[in-house]
Amino acid sequence: MPRMASFFLLFLAVIAPSFAPLAPGQEPLHARMDALIEAKADGPLAAQSANAEFLRRIYLDFAGRIPTVDEVRAFLADADALKREKLIDKLLAGEEYPRRMGQVFHVMLMERLGDHKEWQKYLQDSFAANKPWDVMARELLNPSAEDQATRGAALFFSKRLENYGQNPVDVPGMVRDVGRLFMGIDVQCCQCHDHLFVDDYKQEYYQGLFAFVGQAQLRQGESFPAISEKPLTKKVEFMSVFVKAPKTVGPYLPGLKEVEIPVFANGEEWEVKPDPQKKIAGKLKFSTLKLLSEQLPTADNQLFKKNIANRLWWMMLGRGLVHPLDMQHAGNAPSHPELLDLLADELAARKFDMKWLLREIALSKTYQRGSQAADDAAAESPRASYRVALEKPLSSEQLLASMTTATCETARAKPDELQERFAKAFANPPREPEVEFSPTVKAALFYLNDSVVLGWLKPAPGNLAERLAKTMEPDELAEEMYLAILTRVPSEEEKKDVADYLAKHAANREIAIRNLLWSLLASNEFCMNH
Amino acid sequence: MNPLCKPWEHALSRRQLLGAAAGVAGSLGLSNLLHPVAAADMQKKAKQVLFIWIDGGMSQLESWDPKPNTLFGGPFRAIPTSVPGIHVSELVPRSAKIMQHLAIVRSLCTQDNSHSAGVARIQRGDPKNRGVTYPYFGSAVAKLLGAGTSGLPPYVWIKPGSSGFIHQDAGFLGPKFGAVAFGDGKPPENLVLHDSVTPADDDERNVLRAAANARYAKNRRKQVGEATSYVYDVARTLMKRQDLFDTTKFDPKDVERYGTHEFGRHMLQARKMLEAGVTFVKVNSYGWDTHGDNFNGHLSLMPKFDQAFAAMVQDLADRSMLDNVLVIAMSEFGRTPRINGHIGRDHWPEAWSLVMTGCGIKRGLAVGETNAEGTWVKNQEFDIGHMFHTWFTALGIDPAQTQYDNGGQPLPIAHDGCHAVKELLS
Amino acid sequence: MPDAKDIAKLYEPKTSTIITAEPQVSLARFSPCGKLLVGGGYDARVRRWNVAAEGMPELPALEGHHGWVEGLAFRAEGELLFTADSWGQICCWSGYTEDKPAVKWKLDQAHDGWVRTLAVNPDGKSVASCASDRCIRIWSAEDGAKQFEFPQSEFGNLCLKYAPDGTLLTGDDRGIVRHWKADGTLIRQFDASSLYVLSRLQDVGGVFALALDKEAKTLAVGGTKPVNGGTVVGVPTILLFDLATGEQKQKYDLGTQNDCYVADLQFHDDDFLSAVTYGTPGSGQLIYLKAEEKAPLLTYKQMQNCHSLSWHPDGKRLAVAATNGGSNGNGRPVDKEGKYKGNNSPIHVFTFST
Repeated sequence: MPRMASFFLLFLAVIAPSFAPLAPGQEPLHARMDALIEAKADGPLAAQSANAEFLRRIYLDFAGRIPTVDEVRAFLADADALKREKLIDKLLAGEEYPRRMGQVFHVMLMERLGDHKEWQKYLQDSFAANKPWDVMARELLNPSAEDQATRGAALFFSKRLENYGQNPVDVPGMVRDVGRLFMGIDVQCCQCHDHLFVDDYKQEYYQGLFAFVGQAQLRQGESFPAISEKPLTKKVEFMSVFVKAPKTVGPYLPGLKEVEIPVFANGEEWEVKPDPQKKIAGKLKFSTLKLLSEQLPTADNQLFKKNIANRLWWMMLGRGLVHPLDMQHAGNAPSHPELLDLLADELAARKFDMKWLLREIALSKTYQRGSQAADDAAAESPRASYRVALEKPLSSEQLLASMTTATCETARAKPDELQERFAKAFANPPREPEVEFSPTVKAALFYLNDSVVLGWLKPAPGNLAERLAKTMEPDELAEEMYLAILTRVPSEEEKKDVADYLAKHAANREIAIRNLLWSLLASNEFCMNH
Repeated sequence: MNPLCKPWEHALSRRQLLGAAAGVAGSLGLSNLLHPVAAADMQKKAKQVLFIWIDGGMSQLESWDPKPNTLFGGPFRAIPTSVPGIHVSELVPRSAKIMQHLAIVRSLCTQDNSHSAGVARIQRGDPKNRGVTYPYFGSAVAKLLGAGTSGLPPYVWIKPGSSGFIHQDAGFLGPKFGAVAFGDGKPPENLVLHDSVTPADDDERNVLRAAANARYAKNRRKQVGEATSYVYDVARTLMKRQDLFDTTKFDPKDVERYGTHEFGRHMLQARKMLEAGVTFVKVNSYGWDTHGDNFNGHLSLMPKFDQAFAAMVQDLADRSMLDNVLVIAMSEFGRTPRINGHIGRDHWPEAWSLVMTGCGIKRGLAVGETNAEGTWVKNQEFDIGHMFHTWFTALGIDPAQTQYDNGGQPLPIAHDGCHAVKELLS
Repeated sequence: MPDAKDIAKLYEPKTSTIITAEPQVSLARFSPCGKLLVGGGYDARVRRWNVAAEGMPELPALEGHHGWVEGLAFRAEGELLFTADSWGQICCWSGYTEDKPAVKWKLDQAHDGWVRTLAVNPDGKSVASCASDRCIRIWSAEDGAKQFEFPQSEFGNLCLKYAPDGTLLTGDDRGIVRHWKADGTLIRQFDASSLYVLSRLQDVGGVFALALDKEAKTLAVGGTKPVNGGTVVGVPTILLFDLATGEQKQKYDLGTQNDCYVADLQFHDDDFLSAVTYGTPGSGQLIYLKAEEKAPLLTYKQMQNCHSLSWHPDGKRLAVAATNGGSNGNGRPVDKEGKYKGNNSPIHVFTFST
């Protein structure tokens, strides 16, 4: 595509006015989603999910765990035609939703770089209050140390401003992350030159963003994550490694106007002067972080609203409409551009109410589609067609919560220590986004030999193993086991295999049950969200 | 077709059929599919790498490029080797005796004199900056040559300190091509079968798991099943190979030959890994940064290196493995000719040496020269990029024809301004 | 005999002349007659300076060695100078104050490798040597014939010293000092193994210096308490032992980890012990100690890394061989002609007016 045309497209994407919000009488958003998906599906759609399948999926997505046996039995027995919608609302209003969303955004924003109590509190409180995303973005991009309720948000920057051994602070990485996580664009390559393949990504995108965040400093000695800011006094100077023409740019976001840098007399930059001895970080008259927090997260910023819409879509559907999630540009068009626009605009019109969008997505037929195709060939349909529901990997947090739920060990389990243990085994290394399914040898070994996991399979008061040990009837045992672990009833073949296996090992029943339990817990069906 | 095997058994991936260790294959009734001769053939042709990383900077003046009795030459003498005309430091007498197997490069001149950046740059081949994190040599070879038929991870790292799964080496290739590290010979966590599970139970529970997975896979995408099968296969293969890291099972004669010190033990373990078919084995030795007391330091360190290194090369030769295994021993730079007040030598990337042998490498020669005082390279100056080109070529990978694909971005496997050193290639 | 307080004042290093030797001189010793300062270093030459004359002019260097010259010993009778190098050669020169001393005898391969120290028997008839080849050998002072070979040590010996009665003390690189009779019988061992550590692959430390007081009652052992290998760091340490019983009487920690090694020790006739240390570039100390005092009498830090010390026989002059400042760095230092620069040794010769 000729350069001018691609630039024009991006120009449009960035500048063009947003769609009007839902007018009364119009179809609900989820119906419009389905229409757009089905229009491009280009092939047979898989059947809708069975109740058990839906139940498990929605619990994992909104409560961060599989349902208990009781919850499964109750839902499957419920005759109410609207039970799915009611369950959605129940989970969204429930206590586990803020914790689950806090975990999702923790992994998304911190990418396992680190954690802090105040950060967790910030995230959970924000989701408990259903804080709009633009408000959260403002608090993340310009954290306030004075506001106890939101100061934990500073971890986003503070962790990235820490030194690791002899290595200098990775400021380019920090700039890149702001672009990727708040606007869905990865301008890493643009540090040194215009992106070689992505026409839209110019050096100004990196350098302009750098001008916004490059003055952030780590504030040491506080019990909570904290940063401070140095004054920006002049434009950023840069030069392409290919075209040796020196350029400058001030704080600049793609599609918006470059910010003028005011000139202050020396010492006059401060509204409140910093005093390291009194632990006063100071307050700048011209704060680029403050300006960033005002300019970036707005209803008019296409990149901003598309990014969040895309990420929430990915969370529910297993793939971004723009995929990878941080490569939004003309050469990597969304699979469903109209849909992305729709979601972005609707969300913006609803003042970035994330719970609202998640609810709409959950109500859609696309979300509730089954994950088994009609046959093996249909199973390999293009992911972006959504003809079949995509399998989503479970995060280490979901795995822990689901394993303890399945084995009825939740009461005894110590969440903080275990969270770390599970993250060590299952989470990606720092800065590796947890987006795709990537099993590791380390995780397999953990499943095979970890003491805690294997410990849960031994009978203990109140746990699943104990209950099964007391269940003598093999079919009953099979049903209890499958409901508890795989959130469904076993097939006839499965029941027979269980009965045969138990009969074969009648002399060593406890071990046999343990092997059965382990095999289901370690199975793909358990460790995927499908 | 065996009437007893269930249909789901044939949904296994081709990789599993060819690559599964005997244990897993046996339990699934597939071992008779592996033609024994074919397996041995595949083993013979498989290329491997032993990468000995001497961390901190081995002094070239106290090893491969001595300048005895010169201004900066230090106290030690040079000795002749089995190759007329090549002399090495008196501190490596055993390597001197097998010089006919070795190739020394004396004219390395590289860019970075710091450890923190230098180590990574050298191990990545210091390619041109394209805004991506290049993989270390081990991860690169793991990707380009693959895991072979051993069922073991393609990239194993034997080092002092902690064990684990080291993803950093892999760069943009992704954590799958990171290293499985054995710290002080000990395996990573959870590698040993838990004592509450017998091997028979372990087989049983995995058969049950495979059955459950086969059912789940019906009418679903293959990707999930294949990916988990692979990691479980590797995990279980590692678990069954206690002999690779249970040092009590090593032959005492070997232990004595390689040396009971840390480096000797680790090199012996490396040989076992190579014999088991691991594609790339890296052995690290730390503590070579002799800014102070360089001479007493190398007097103590070099003979230990020499002992294990020479034993390894000799063993590989004796086992007819030297034509398949590329062996490299190097640091991130050399040491300054100038001797400082701490009686040490500082970092010197301007003129230093490394040694190599094995697959595709010409043997019994020294390439490149430094001047009489050892301060600068006199002729045939090479950067690490030249070495990467040479090594890839020696392994049968053509750097001109091979590229990485980083999400659409094509990337050369070695610095595109460098080339292979023909003299070093057999 | 001056007491502790006075020693610091009397022997305060104030006045000094610096002889600059290029390249480094790692060992410098006054001859017993007091006329010469003799140095051995990294260029295989034996340097000599006439310290009796104004300006301390240099005499022609003695050539013929290889590698590093780190063994130096004198016998006043016959003006014999014994020198040894790191290639294993021992040389005996006669008439060491002359411009061109004669080579009395020479042993090309007295040892297989680095001869660390030479010492002349108080009876003047033999000279002892120890080396990295783990051998301790006694040679005839007259003609270099081998008189005695100790059984091979388990480890290399770094230094040796004769006691006035002709018994021999050796210190190895594992921190053990042994006291021998002339026939090779071991009298006793002194445990200074705290001066050694195995760090990963590297044997670090050992006995770097030995000294005996005038009455041969107190044995001083110097080295470092090493923390790690590679770039060795450790606290310079001196242990004092009762020579007769082997009992450790005192231990001195002399500085920080960066100060590293006690390189040389000598007792002054006024009954105090002097020591020099060198460590990370720039860390050099001259220290005076007295056995009864827990703290050093004096610590002088104005010299960059110090490698050897020697008191003039008259007790009024002290020579400390050091390395220049700015001796280290990873860069490529070049001089005005663009040639790569080496380092040198300022030899500080202090004069005391007592």
